[in-house]
Amino acid sequence: MLRKFMAAAVAMVMMFGIIGGTAFADNHEAMVRVIHASPDAPAVDVYVDGEAVVEGAEYKQATDYMALPAGDHEIEVFPAGENGEGDPVISQSVTLEEGMKYSAAAVGKLDSISLWALNDDMEASEGKAKVRVVHASPDAPNVDVVVKDGDVLFSDVAFKSTSDYAEVDPMTVDLEVRPAGSEDVVLEIPGVELKEGYVYSVYAIGLVEGDPTLEAWPMVDATNMPSEMPQTGMGGAADQSNTVAWALLGGAILAAGTGIYLRKKQTA
Amino acid sequence: MPCKKLLLSMLLLGAAAGCSSSSSNQSDEMKEVLPINEYTQLVSAPDITVSSSSKSKESVEPALVGIIPAQLSIPAINVDAKVEHVGQLPDGQMDVPKDESNVGWYQPGAKPGERGNAVLAGHVDNKTGPSVFFHLGDLEAGDLVTVTDEHGLAYDFEVNAVKSYPRNNAPLEKVFGTSFKSSLNLITCTGTFDRDAGTHEERMVVYTTLVSE
Repeated sequence: MLRKFMAAAVAMVMMFGIIGGTAFADNHEAMVRVIHASPDAPAVDVYVDGEAVVEGAEYKQATDYMALPAGDHEIEVFPAGENGEGDPVISQSVTLEEGMKYSAAAVGKLDSISLWALNDDMEASEGKAKVRVVHASPDAPNVDVVVKDGDVLFSDVAFKSTSDYAEVDPMTVDLEVRPAGSEDVVLEIPGVELKEGYVYSVYAIGLVEGDPTLEAWPMVDATNMPSEMPQTGMGGAADQSNTVAWALLGGAILAAGTGIYLRKKQTA
Repeated sequence: MPCKKLLLSMLLLGAAAGCSSSSSNQSDEMKEVLPINEYTQLVSAPDITVSSSSKSKESVEPALVGIIPAQLSIPAINVDAKVEHVGQLPDGQMDVPKDESNVGWYQPGAKPGERGNAVLAGHVDNKTGPSVFFHLGDLEAGDLVTVTDEHGLAYDFEVNAVKSYPRNNAPLEKVFGTSFKSSLNLITCTGTFDRDAGTHEERMVVYTTLVSE
């Protein structure tokens, strides 16, 4: 009896445990991706705490999010193929909080390259999409980002800064990038898909003067994820975990019944 | 069609050879897996922008286009199933197909074939016996999975790995989260059935990636 109660109690606790909180937060982890957005830096190897996490990353390449334990980490960026020896191009310590998502972007021209750690949002409000612009073009002026033939979405965003996230109705939209306060278009970004429940960072990368040229790199910070894996089984073909409990219960009832019978016999 | 697949395979091999020749001569220890290494895949930004008129026009490469899946075929385990669209239950859990002999495509996620994680879920069993994904765990790396839309356009995916997780500690970000790769993840229940909780104790994920269109 006690065992069945315990099993039910554990099941209740587990059920409440899964509401809210993603798995990686429960594991005291953070998610980080590395982005190479430096227009003139060579291919790089990236080390976290002395171990290589990506090798040969070129400009305009990025990793998917990786899970790392929450806390302080040392990130070093070396020219590719040097075994992580010699002087790193970037050496930076970052503090990651559990349950958070970060992008670590190598930005700026090589002679002033740095690692820019951004906090990435993870959720959009019900029925909305979230979008921001990330200015990672070393020689572009402050910019406004507008919907073509429509509203200004973000204004006066400077290099190595981001706009706030804006919540918008889900849509596919043509965007234009202009020098702040100007009507001139320096960059067109057609067909940006903003899906419900998704979070986007649109990076402006490259150079206004020279190559690689200024362009947009829309990135998904978060998809519209479920909170839990689906219930895709009903038990008709599975081993069951409470057979031992039932056997014990059955045995206990039998023993109790036998005990009562014997006692009755004695007193009769 | 076979010619196209051969050409694509050759291109992929050529690209892989190119990648390996540019990496340094490191001992195998360097590539040895920390848990984080398995997440690192490099993918390039899609070129979807056009410069302003004062510069020369760049060629615009279209992003990978996905399909709305209608049929799922996995010859290695004799699966040929219809695909329903599923979303989330009110509490946020991924929903399941109405007919348990079908599989369910997670509609808020990626379409099979486009960048991102496309997810298909199927039942391992029903109340009386095995169901559509009962043999999912028999899949091995290299097995092919084909998804077709209602017009007959098909994408092939190749199995990379089969993993099982405790049901409350599955890596949702890895299965459903953002990715630069074009992946199709097949999920079902596995492990012991916990009759008190009314569900299997584990979840299985078969990770596959796009190989051709």
